[in-house]
Amino acid sequence: MDIYAQLALSGLFIGGLYALISVGLTLVFGVLRVVNFAHGEYLTIAMFLTYFLFHQFGFDPFLSSILVIPLMFGLGLVTERLLIRPTLEAPHVVQVFVTFALSLWLQNLLLVLFTSDFRTVRTGYATAAFQIGPLYVSWLRLGAFVAAVALTAALAAFLKYTYMGSAIRATAQDRRSARLTGVNVDRVYAVTFALGCALVGAAGVLLSPLFPVNPYTGADMILIAFVIVVLGGMGSIAGATLAGLLIGVVESYSSYFLGGEMKQFVYFLCFMLILAFRPVGFFGRKGAEVMDVT
Amino acid sequence: MGKRAYEASAGLWRSVIGFAGLAALPLIFSDPFLLGLVTLSFLWAAASLAWNLSGGYAGQLSLGHSAFYGIGAYTSTVLFLKAGVSPLLGMWVGAAISAVAAVALGAITMRLKGSFFVMSTLAFGAVVHISANNLREFTGGASGLSIPLQPSLVNLVFASKLTFAYVALALVVTFFLVTRLIAGSKIGYSLVAFRENDSAARALGIRTLPLRIGVFALSAAMTSLCGTLHAQYYLYIDPDSVLSLNLSLNLALMAIVGGLGTAYGPIVGAIIVTTVYFAMQAFLGDQISGLTQLAYATIVIVVLVVVPSGLGPEIGRLLTGRLAWRR
Repeated sequence: MDIYAQLALSGLFIGGLYALISVGLTLVFGVLRVVNFAHGEYLTIAMFLTYFLFHQFGFDPFLSSILVIPLMFGLGLVTERLLIRPTLEAPHVVQVFVTFALSLWLQNLLLVLFTSDFRTVRTGYATAAFQIGPLYVSWLRLGAFVAAVALTAALAAFLKYTYMGSAIRATAQDRRSARLTGVNVDRVYAVTFALGCALVGAAGVLLSPLFPVNPYTGADMILIAFVIVVLGGMGSIAGATLAGLLIGVVESYSSYFLGGEMKQFVYFLCFMLILAFRPVGFFGRKGAEVMDVT
Repeated sequence: MGKRAYEASAGLWRSVIGFAGLAALPLIFSDPFLLGLVTLSFLWAAASLAWNLSGGYAGQLSLGHSAFYGIGAYTSTVLFLKAGVSPLLGMWVGAAISAVAAVALGAITMRLKGSFFVMSTLAFGAVVHISANNLREFTGGASGLSIPLQPSLVNLVFASKLTFAYVALALVVTFFLVTRLIAGSKIGYSLVAFRENDSAARALGIRTLPLRIGVFALSAAMTSLCGTLHAQYYLYIDPDSVLSLNLSLNLALMAIVGGLGTAYGPIVGAIIVTTVYFAMQAFLGDQISGLTQLAYATIVIVVLVVVPSGLGPEIGRLLTGRLAWRR
């Protein structure tokens, strides 16, 4: 019986990080109506930044987040200005493939710079753990989980209580009306996209002591993020958080009982089933995902 | 001669001259390296034409076409290795399986909008890729399958690489004609109307769901044939070479670089992309892995942002010396 509880706990911990990755993706989709297929590469970049700060300057991963998160925000602003804004009104095919090509570009830039070797951030406290009843809890994973949940909560508070947050929500609901009421929609787009990158950057910082990084790390993670975002309902932050935790637990069980290779198979199958039967997900707004069938 | 008849015959002549030029390529570039470039350009052109039929005309941006390519490659190869069935026959079995899979997938995903459709096909491609890695008795898993080198027409293995170039070209010509035939028919116009504005098309009473699924299945079957040809050309297949996401992406990107939703676009795109690939490999070698892909991604981004309609129409305009606004 203990093994089930232990699996659930470790799934929940990793699910918190999945949620943080997915929240950025779903926020960008909700506001800009663009699926950023390069989202995973920003995760990889943040992990590489953390790795180099750790190895060159001996920065602790939790400390280096103070530097990495603003850097990722800046990178997001640059990307939005150069690639996303010019293609916002373009045909759908351009929107999809511009972020796909960006993903390919970043992946191979990292490959040229750093080769495909795996790099690991090995902290002194990586194996430290404590025991509650029958459960073993890793301090590192607990810390990463708490930080991820805190950041998600901070985002929710930002969206609810600040002017910019209200402007973002207004734009997500109806961009034309938002513009009519004096919201600077272009600025909202830029801030939202950069926020998405900063959030996935934070997830990268938190993941780096747990997983080794190479240029393909983000591409593997992003597929999980798609499953989560669709399951939670495209554009819904609460949905992405809930679905992230759920997928974390499902993955933890399926990789224990079915083996590491099959776990991917399981959640892709889940994904197809969700799309087939409930493409709005948990909290999605109807109409974004399905058209009238004729 | 009326203007329309003139335009039609001019179009016909342009195609004939174009394909005559393509047919001359394998003879001009007889050096093995360059012949490889030409042959692969043809193979990619055929596969990209197949993708373009559904992705370009109907606007269903599938990133799961590698699954159909892989089904084609694996079906003919497994039938040949296990049961001695000629790939000439096996390729049609693969095409039939792909078409059935496409109808099943289409029935689920065709009602999904834009990015949702893209993601669902992405997941389908991944499921087939993982399955091929795990069904070891059939596919040999990650170590792949080799086809013995026994040249004969029945085995669809040729001693001379030149023959293969023309087999691939025959496929390109056939797929080009299929595309022209569909694009010029009522089906083609319905698909384009749906792609441009689905609610307007619906308001006009154009019913596209069966058409889109049908064209998707046709496109899958055609892609599958290219997969068989790939296996017969390399005489070796593994999941990463015939089922990867990168393959799906390439089929789409070649059509986009050349000109989406045009019959000649994928051919132009495949030739440009393959030439760039080979040139980069020849000049840079494999010393720095990733550099070729980096250059490729740069080209794609520039094309998407600067000339979203593709390079094919631009080149055409340059050749005929006409400007867009004069037409």
